[in-house]
Amino acid sequence: MNKFSHTILFLLIAGFFVSCSPKNISSRYYFQNEKDLDQIEKSFRNSYRVHPFSIGFTSSDFRKVSVTIMTDTLNYIYDFTVGEERLADSLTRYRLPAKDILSLIGNMQAIRCTWISNYDFYDDEKKRSLTFMSIKSVALKRPFKKAKYYVLTYFQQPQYFDSEGRLLDRKKLRRLRKINGEIFMRINDKVCYTVSERFR
Amino acid sequence: MKTKFCIAPLLRNVVALKTGIVLLLAFFSIAVKGLPAAGKKHTSTQEEAIAYLSKINRLDSSTIWTGINPTRFFKNLRKNIEHPITVYPGEGTYFCAYSALTYLMLQDDPLGYARFVVELYRNGEAMYRETYFKPSLEVKKEAGLLNYKGVMDINPADQMWYLTMADHFKGYLNTFNRIYDPGDENNFWASVNYAKFNRMAKRLLFGSVTSKGSDLIRPKIKDLYGYLYNKLHDGNVVLYINNRIVHKKNHVSIKLAVPTHFIVVEKITRIDDLVTLVYWDNGAKTLIQLSPAF
Repeated sequence: MNKFSHTILFLLIAGFFVSCSPKNISSRYYFQNEKDLDQIEKSFRNSYRVHPFSIGFTSSDFRKVSVTIMTDTLNYIYDFTVGEERLADSLTRYRLPAKDILSLIGNMQAIRCTWISNYDFYDDEKKRSLTFMSIKSVALKRPFKKAKYYVLTYFQQPQYFDSEGRLLDRKKLRRLRKINGEIFMRINDKVCYTVSERFR
Repeated sequence: MKTKFCIAPLLRNVVALKTGIVLLLAFFSIAVKGLPAAGKKHTSTQEEAIAYLSKINRLDSSTIWTGINPTRFFKNLRKNIEHPITVYPGEGTYFCAYSALTYLMLQDDPLGYARFVVELYRNGEAMYRETYFKPSLEVKKEAGLLNYKGVMDINPADQMWYLTMADHFKGYLNTFNRIYDPGDENNFWASVNYAKFNRMAKRLLFGSVTSKGSDLIRPKIKDLYGYLYNKLHDGNVVLYINNRIVHKKNHVSIKLAVPTHFIVVEKITRIDDLVTLVYWDNGAKTLIQLSPAF
């Protein structure tokens, strides 16, 4: 009986660590939230086409949001409380699709998406772009550890991966492609993930 | 133009530069003020640099910098001269200090910069003012091949120059990684501390450099707004700040208030309790509003 109790205790502890490991969370997080995540990305991409911008939540309760609006001459960083009138007014002033972006902010808030932005890169000197999203997953929160973010990249074109599912450089297929210094793993041909201490 | 921000609420160091002077304040910040020192050479103009590039017209492939496309290199060089504001350190790199200095060099002595970069490309080594640069083989091999760094992917001249600077100038943050390996542009091999920035500014910019601050302790300045405002009238001002000043991030319970990013101050104004700061970093100017206690 004593041996049986120890075995159960061991399995429970092992199960706790395995289930909370970033690797495990990463492999399933996207598919569990696929619809919401894809919707956020699509909404961002559509609004970005109208006018470049990025959004980040700056408080742990996801009530403070920072909006960066890019123009030809200057970038503007403004901080708002979600829901305040000033936010919609400012978006409208810079001719951003305010209604869509407010909806996007609400969806990001719901899923604890800390940051979304466009990211340019070049393939054979041809400009490409991807959407960069980071999520502060509760499942990644561990005591005495630095905060970790679940980071997704949405490419416009299918990418190359090695046999372990790691994102590869298009030009030199034997070389891993790092984004922000991180190795990304395949979810599907166009979507990759990593777990990072950096949210942007 | 896309930007990546690095300001944190007020950790800063200041450096001021004027006509060749940089003031660095560590908000650690930095401030630079440029007062032309006696006997110093006159700095050049953008027109002189453009005329120089027009005479060269094209560059041949290099056996030294094998990863660099000469056409793209020349285009990059020309763009830097014509539009210094677009100088970009690359996504996710530790090159922000090098790009801030390059941005100031391009305003300080564009012809000197152009001549130096061309010579470095042609000979694999070159002298800028009194500093002799001879980058390592590892750096020569990698320049031009960095990618997934945003527009820096297609800017081989910037890649060559930033890698050369990081290879040449060393500070205590580089102690444990002094030899370049691919990917080191994203880590401590390339990082810049307060003293290293000041040293680089003094070597690369004309005029005098003054600074206030340190890597770990924020300088005590009673009226920061007034101080920065006055320094801007004397010369260029560079701030060494914690990224959270610009990009607030309160997701975490443990926050290190150390400076991490270099920005060039363009303008600062105050109306009542609202300070508006316009600064340059990452290939663009950005406006941010802060409380006077920033």
